[in-house]
Amino acid sequence: MTLFLQELVIGVTTGAIYALIALGYTMVYGIIELINFAHGDIFMIGTFVCVSIFAAFGITTSSTAPTGFALVGVLLITLLGAIAVCAVLGVVIERVAYRPLRNAPRLAPLISAIGVSLILEDVGKLWKGITFVSFPQIVPQIFYHIGPIVITSINILVLIVALVLMVGLQWLVTRTRTGRAMRAVAQDREAAALMGVNVNRIIAITFFIGAGLAGAAGLIYGLQFGSTIFYLGFTLGLFAFTAAVLGGIGNLVGAMLGGVLIGVIEALSTLIPDSNNGGIGLPHGGAAWHEAIIFVVLILILVFRPSGLLGQQTPEKV
Amino acid sequence: MAIANTFVPARNTRAILIKWIVGLLVPVAVFTFVWSGEAIINNALLGVFGLGGVSDIAILVQIALFLVIFYATVIALAGYLVAADSGLRGMIEVWVDILVFVLVPLFLVISLGLIIGLALCAIIWPVYFFARRRIYKAINYTPPTPLLNLKVLSDEQRVELKNRAISGSFWFSVALAVVWLVVDLIFYVSGSLPTSLLIWVVIRTLLLPVAGYFLGRLAGVIALRRTIAAKSNGNDGNVSDGAGKRVRQRQLEKLSTTRVREEAKDLVPNDLPLRSTGAQRFFLILLVAFVLFYPVIDPFLFGFGTAGRLAGYGDAGYYVILALGLNIVVGFAGLLDLGYVAFFAIGAYTWGIFGSTQLTNVLNLAPINPHLLSALFWPMVIVAALVAALFGVLLGAPTLRLRGDYLAIVTLGFGEIVPIVFLELDQYTNGTNGIVGVHSPSFFGIDWSVITPVPYYYLILALIAFSIFVNVRLRDSRLGRAWIAIREDEIAAASSGVNLVTTKLFAFGTGAFFSGIAGAYHTAKLGGVSPDSFSFGDSVIFLAMVVIGGIGSIPGVIVGALAVYSINQFLLAQLDSLAADPSNPLFAVRNAIAHVFTGFTFGNIRNLIFGVILVVIMIYRPEGLIPSARRRRELHEVEEEGVEVGALGVVPGAPGFESEVRVE
Repeated sequence: MTLFLQELVIGVTTGAIYALIALGYTMVYGIIELINFAHGDIFMIGTFVCVSIFAAFGITTSSTAPTGFALVGVLLITLLGAIAVCAVLGVVIERVAYRPLRNAPRLAPLISAIGVSLILEDVGKLWKGITFVSFPQIVPQIFYHIGPIVITSINILVLIVALVLMVGLQWLVTRTRTGRAMRAVAQDREAAALMGVNVNRIIAITFFIGAGLAGAAGLIYGLQFGSTIFYLGFTLGLFAFTAAVLGGIGNLVGAMLGGVLIGVIEALSTLIPDSNNGGIGLPHGGAAWHEAIIFVVLILILVFRPSGLLGQQTPEKV
Repeated sequence: MAIANTFVPARNTRAILIKWIVGLLVPVAVFTFVWSGEAIINNALLGVFGLGGVSDIAILVQIALFLVIFYATVIALAGYLVAADSGLRGMIEVWVDILVFVLVPLFLVISLGLIIGLALCAIIWPVYFFARRRIYKAINYTPPTPLLNLKVLSDEQRVELKNRAISGSFWFSVALAVVWLVVDLIFYVSGSLPTSLLIWVVIRTLLLPVAGYFLGRLAGVIALRRTIAAKSNGNDGNVSDGAGKRVRQRQLEKLSTTRVREEAKDLVPNDLPLRSTGAQRFFLILLVAFVLFYPVIDPFLFGFGTAGRLAGYGDAGYYVILALGLNIVVGFAGLLDLGYVAFFAIGAYTWGIFGSTQLTNVLNLAPINPHLLSALFWPMVIVAALVAALFGVLLGAPTLRLRGDYLAIVTLGFGEIVPIVFLELDQYTNGTNGIVGVHSPSFFGIDWSVITPVPYYYLILALIAFSIFVNVRLRDSRLGRAWIAIREDEIAAASSGVNLVTTKLFAFGTGAFFSGIAGAYHTAKLGGVSPDSFSFGDSVIFLAMVVIGGIGSIPGVIVGALAVYSINQFLLAQLDSLAADPSNPLFAVRNAIAHVFTGFTFGNIRNLIFGVILVVIMIYRPEGLIPSARRRRELHEVEEEGVEVGALGVVPGAPGFESEVRVE
């Protein structure tokens, strides 16, 4: 039971990161119906940007971490820097690779997105090399014991950042003029344009916000896991995309729910014992199978709820 | 009399004759004298006379067949072109086109090898198109449109057409014979032609014109089949001029707009005979002959290293099969499949487990006789394909209710799950080590050891031919039409009586069937299976092949598969070895970049280049390299809405017609 709760904590933290990335997928999908395969790689670039900003402050894995207000300042600047770089990158990608294909057949932007993803991966490779890049652990690790389970200060930080950003996004989408325009474009691009919404600008803003969230996810991922690598965006992007679909693609709350769910499933699957040691379980233990388990759960959920957990079952227009 | 007419061309035919004889003779001469045509023939003949050269009878027969097919096709093509040309386009224009599309590739392929040469052409051609458009604009020239020449031919004109074909082929082969004779005499004088081959020179010089006459008759028949014949209604053919005009008018009106738009290039006479469907048949014959006899002519064309090249082309072949299979799911039925690699893995492991000692070890049985096992490859290809198809149906079943991208993620999920299962169930699949020691197939006692790739080359050719045949038949079948209906509009299809469940499952099953074939071939060729060869990245590559080629278009998908394979696995993999050579321009490029990024190699930016190519192709050709006719029509529906089939106010070919129908 203790182990279960402990894994649950890990799962929720990881899930919060997945959720932040999934938000970018789901926003872009909601507005232009494109699976933005490059999104995971934007997140990867985000982690690299954080490492570089830390280095600019003279913080490396070997240096002593700043404390107090200096620490908060560095973290804030890094967060904003990562968000800014990724957001601009997202807008540039949209302008160069997706906007010319706005009216093309549906699969053309998908292949273009895959192309951008490959490009970003190699940019990351050129930038930081092909090995793992260690992420400076500047937040002091404090262990809080709540009953038998342990929660670290980093876990709490990750959850706070993720929550603040998600609430902020929710507010932006539901309460502001821009948010209303985004929802209008998502619902019907032509009609929104007729009502005076600048569709191209709104789509660019969507990419800006989605990619910015991926940049933020880059920082908290680095703080939580301590290292990054150029192909990170691929695996995490896959999980985040799965999370977006699981929650109902195009639905913001769904993406958050899906992200947390996937994180939890991933963490819990490590509890499955190794059947090679005898007894019930899977060969080599659950950890080796976690990806397969995630997808099996996804498929089962989609079989019973074809539009995801919170997705609206829209009747097909004839 | 008729013969005299044939050999002495009419005045208006002469310009056309010169145009095509020169246009074809130059490339043929380059192939024969600069490249290897002459070398192949002489080597073969020396073998026949027992003076060295090629001595293997089987190879000799293949070479002879290739050469006969090659020259006969070209001679007949000359006749067809002369007959099919409407004569509206000038000589220079045609010659420049032939220069850019035939001569330039020929020289590039000679000097740089097949794939690099063609890749360079792929860069040169768009530049040429761009430049040509600019020049046309600058000199204010609009090329004549094919529709002006839709002519109904009377009987006299048909005889004339046939005579033109005969004289085209005849004079072309005479010109070829003369040029060849002169060149051979020069060779002989300079001492590089053995005396014993002079008898061949004499025979050839006499034989070519005769062959030209008969091939010309054949070309005439081919050209005549593509004309619009005037119906004489039992009159003895003496239709007066006025009546003939009326017949023509009536028949052209019957041609619907759609047909005119699409089949203008089918008909004879034609402004662009090189691009007409008749000429395409000739090109197809040349291509098939080339591909079929490639293993024996490759050493002459490209020198050493035939085995390595053939092995590479064999690999390209299974990508073609995979792309064709995926095209059924994505292209025909419109179901986005991001986990196609799963079925490929299932096919590969089916033969892998059965064809090695794996199965008998797991079941604790006595090992099967290796000779028997090798022979069992043939039925097992079908079994592997059927197993893959079964899984295609099984995995397709849960996705039936899903739409669009939910479907994509579920298939992606299967694509991730299946390799993990193969990886982790190591008591059956040998886990990370994969399966090794799979027996190579045997065929009536011929050894298929991996030393020579030739049997595998023919095996993959046969499999591709089978796949293309099945694909074409499926596309035009009732099932294929149901798939396309689902792709267009599921609800409309269902209301028209298409059973969505079985049709979709058939699409998944059939698509998986082909990947099963490719998988079994892959295992047989490698002699084993490794679980690393099946990742999401591979699924993405397969999808890119289909989309880049043009979804739903069979020739497009084949070209797409070959293009993606040669860019990704061949060209980009070679960049580093090319840059290692200081004389190569890439050498300087690499050093310049290495100043900025230490330790830079092209291997590091392989994906970057590939990604840029993907994005650029998609932006400039969002419908793919060769879009299928049906999809092109759908996508441009809006632009052409004004014109309805058969509802023409103006007759095709009449002056006002062009403004009403746009012809590409």
